[in-house]
Amino acid sequence: MMALPLISPNICNLEPQGFYIHIPFCRRKCFYCDFAITTGKTELQEHYVEVLCQEIALIAKESFPYTAALKTIFFGGGTPSLLKPCQIDEILQTINRYWAIANNAEISIEINPGTVTVESVKAYRSLGINRISIGAQAFQDQLLDLCGRGHSVTEIYEAVAATKQAGLDNFSLDLISGLPTQTLSQWQESLSQAIALEPKHIAVYDLTIEPSTAFNKRYRAGVNPLPNDESTVEMYLMARDRLQGAGYNHYEISNYALPNYQSRHNLIYWHNQPFYGAGMGATSYINQYRIDRPQKMREYLAMVEAWTQGNSPINPPQISDREALFDTLMQGLRLAQGISFEHLINRFGSASIQETIPQLEAYSPHWVTISPTHLYLTQPEGWLFSDEVIGSLFTYFFDCPHPI
Amino acid sequence: MTDVPVSRIRNFSIIAHIDHGKSTLADRLLQATGTVKSREMKEQFLDNMDLERERGITIKLQAARMSYIAHDGLEYILNLIDTPGHVDFSYEVSRSLAACEGALLVVDASQGVEAQTLANVYLALENNLEIIPVLNKIDLPSAEPERIAAEIEELIGLDCSEAVRASAKEGVGIPEILEELVKKVPAPKDTVDQPLRSLIFDSYYDTYRGVVVYFRVMDGTVKKGDRVRFMASGQEYVIDEVGILAPNQIQVDSLHAGEVGYLAAAIKMVEHARVGDTITSALNPAIEALSGYIEAKPMVFCGMFPTDADQFEDLREALEKLKLNDAALNYEPESSNAMGFGFRCGFLGLLHMEIVQERLEREYNLDLIVTAPSVIYQVTTIKGEVVLIDNPSELPNPQERTKIEEPYVHLDIMTPQGYIGTLMELCETRRGIYIDMKYITKDRATLTYEVPLAEIVTDFFDQMKSRTKGYASMEYEVIGYRENDLVKVDILVNDEPVDALACIAHRDKAYTLGKNLVSKLKELIPRHQFQIPVQAAIGTKILARENIPAMRKNVLSKCYGGDVSRKKKLLEKQKEGKKRMKSIGTVDVPQEAFMAILQLNQS
Repeated sequence: MMALPLISPNICNLEPQGFYIHIPFCRRKCFYCDFAITTGKTELQEHYVEVLCQEIALIAKESFPYTAALKTIFFGGGTPSLLKPCQIDEILQTINRYWAIANNAEISIEINPGTVTVESVKAYRSLGINRISIGAQAFQDQLLDLCGRGHSVTEIYEAVAATKQAGLDNFSLDLISGLPTQTLSQWQESLSQAIALEPKHIAVYDLTIEPSTAFNKRYRAGVNPLPNDESTVEMYLMARDRLQGAGYNHYEISNYALPNYQSRHNLIYWHNQPFYGAGMGATSYINQYRIDRPQKMREYLAMVEAWTQGNSPINPPQISDREALFDTLMQGLRLAQGISFEHLINRFGSASIQETIPQLEAYSPHWVTISPTHLYLTQPEGWLFSDEVIGSLFTYFFDCPHPI
Repeated sequence: MTDVPVSRIRNFSIIAHIDHGKSTLADRLLQATGTVKSREMKEQFLDNMDLERERGITIKLQAARMSYIAHDGLEYILNLIDTPGHVDFSYEVSRSLAACEGALLVVDASQGVEAQTLANVYLALENNLEIIPVLNKIDLPSAEPERIAAEIEELIGLDCSEAVRASAKEGVGIPEILEELVKKVPAPKDTVDQPLRSLIFDSYYDTYRGVVVYFRVMDGTVKKGDRVRFMASGQEYVIDEVGILAPNQIQVDSLHAGEVGYLAAAIKMVEHARVGDTITSALNPAIEALSGYIEAKPMVFCGMFPTDADQFEDLREALEKLKLNDAALNYEPESSNAMGFGFRCGFLGLLHMEIVQERLEREYNLDLIVTAPSVIYQVTTIKGEVVLIDNPSELPNPQERTKIEEPYVHLDIMTPQGYIGTLMELCETRRGIYIDMKYITKDRATLTYEVPLAEIVTDFFDQMKSRTKGYASMEYEVIGYRENDLVKVDILVNDEPVDALACIAHRDKAYTLGKNLVSKLKELIPRHQFQIPVQAAIGTKILARENIPAMRKNVLSKCYGGDVSRKKKLLEKQKEGKKRMKSIGTVDVPQEAFMAILQLNQS
């Protein structure tokens, strides 16, 4: 059986209340993307949904006696909008068979321009989906092309219009800065266009060149035609400036939201709270077991098959409290409000603070702010150097595994 | 098994350029004579170091004894003595050739003779070997056996009318080669009655038995229990074990003149039984040692430092162990302001250096930072003393020296004629002095230059290969020291001189070198939280300067969702990356920077 875990009493209260569902299908792979995706055909999609529902049932069986109602469900991808609404329905019904879904639960789906219509968004809405995340990325056809996005600027507008017409106004837009050949004025234009569409939430990612991507074959970080660090920093600051000016809170390193519209599902990650996960490449975090599912379709299908037979194919060691402390710091420092000392004390004891603070003092106040109640990265400078700060904590926690 | 008359022994080696199919041919001979059964056959049986198999070149040589029934119905013993195929090891080649009476000259039937091959053929001729030409790879569509045969005749003056046409890969020509060996290679001289003299052509260290020595008995007999003397090192040992190489070691009672085999005698280190040394009997010693013994001297030096200072002792132990097995390797402790404690190591050449480095990293799991290779300079001080400097940072100041001399090599490059121009240009930019150019055939020529060794040990070989699409080949030999206007170029990172980056260069080239080095370092040293000036200087005179701008960000803004493990993998990579760097003051310098001089494109 899968090693899900006797529940240790001190974290009994931390029951998973979010569920991530990975839908790995894409029409084509974007040139910068290294997520677990597949360009599989319709028949494969049907089979996948079937297996995914089997997995959800298995998770339910193993997770007994967790009973808390789900407060968030997130369909991420890939391109979840490639599934038919009835397939989404089947997945949601399977979840609902085993878990209660809270009345005001946030149920999100990621969609790509060119894959939705007013009808499909209406159908999502009728299934209870109340938040849509649209992968816009850029507002210049030439840049979309260069990224291999497979949709046009016009299709972004169409997708937003469809969403609004379907009566779903809680939507988010994704943008990427630091794209090859991207200029500051193009970036400014993308920001303005995005703001004009009045999303409730905007995610702004600074492009990272990942090893196994088409971009990695073509470009080198910081080298023309990729903008240099000076330019991408300027883009980052410009986004902050423009979006804050338009009323969005910069509540996380790369996320902005109007008041009350923060992504509740993502907050689970950033608070390092437990969550369920299902589907190819998905991660779950339950009772301090972090389980990463296979990134390849065949291996994922085989895993579920084996699990049905009673064999647990993955059995990682439980995360120690110390590692969980590091994870909490790493994730929490992404948030504008940072981590509250009260939370750290409740979860890890007061020694955790005595140990952490001295590691960060060297960075205070330029990169790290230590307030009487919270620990957070100084904004925006500390965010720009977040991996320096988190990296030094990482070295500290993993090179010196025992507390002083 | 050992009771073979001397008249039915044939000792031979194979001379071939890298890639011309020597190892494959050796494999076929072992198979055809049933020495190695096909199912035991690993590809390239004789090359048994991993590194060798990966690179397809022979570094440590090996030997194999084959038993072959010839067309005359008699059983012959064929001893194949393999030779390493690289310029760094030409001395070893000469010793294995000295242990033979014949050689197969294997030439790729589409590529022709290369410089390396030619050098080895001359060595074989000097040793009075019977040479049997083999035109290999005749199965390839591009093969031109006629033209290549003519080339060999012209070049070497070797009669190729009976050259064997073979394809080792396809097994073509193998029986003919075996017959030729029996017919043409002379039997060893029957000197069984004389006092023992055996020529060592290889040795390696074995943890359980001490050094295992591979040798050819030239005169007399050697048997288990004999007390023997190594004439050059003066060491004496009692033999625990004598045997033949088939090619696995098989013990026998004794070996006599003409035979090839191995012995073990709890010999402490390879230095006691060096290649080329003569083994004689301690009780009834030969009057004279066999000629040709030379103590291999290192020509190329570099600093090797553990990335992790805690590994210094491990590095010392690993070098000690390698030294047991490698008489040409030299090392002594070195301390550097940038790198901490490590060793200054001497090698026969660049390949030797690379091999040692790789073995240290692979077999001993060490993380090393290696400085750019340097040669050994002769410096005359104002007091008239001559000091040898193998480490640029130790060069005496200009006011304390009267001259610097550097080693020169005689360099032969063989090339298709179309590349003569570009190769001459390469040699000139490397301070080469033109000596000669000869057309060996109407479209191939030998270029001869005298070049400072320091110019060869950087990327000369790679440059030569890339300028000639791989067609040219080279061979060099050190001919002595010459005075030149040499200066020390210092590199300053964040205003601190970095001893491990200092290099010695000709004054005329110092400016360009400094400029290139500095801009290369600008690429290689990551941004820090502050601006870092990088400068090249001769004494107090600054030749070049670049600034590494301050870091503006280090952030991964992407939302990996719950995939925390992945973010941690990236942090782990960042941490390992930092660990592999050396701190110079407050600047972290990556390993590649210390080899930057090798990466400079000097063309």
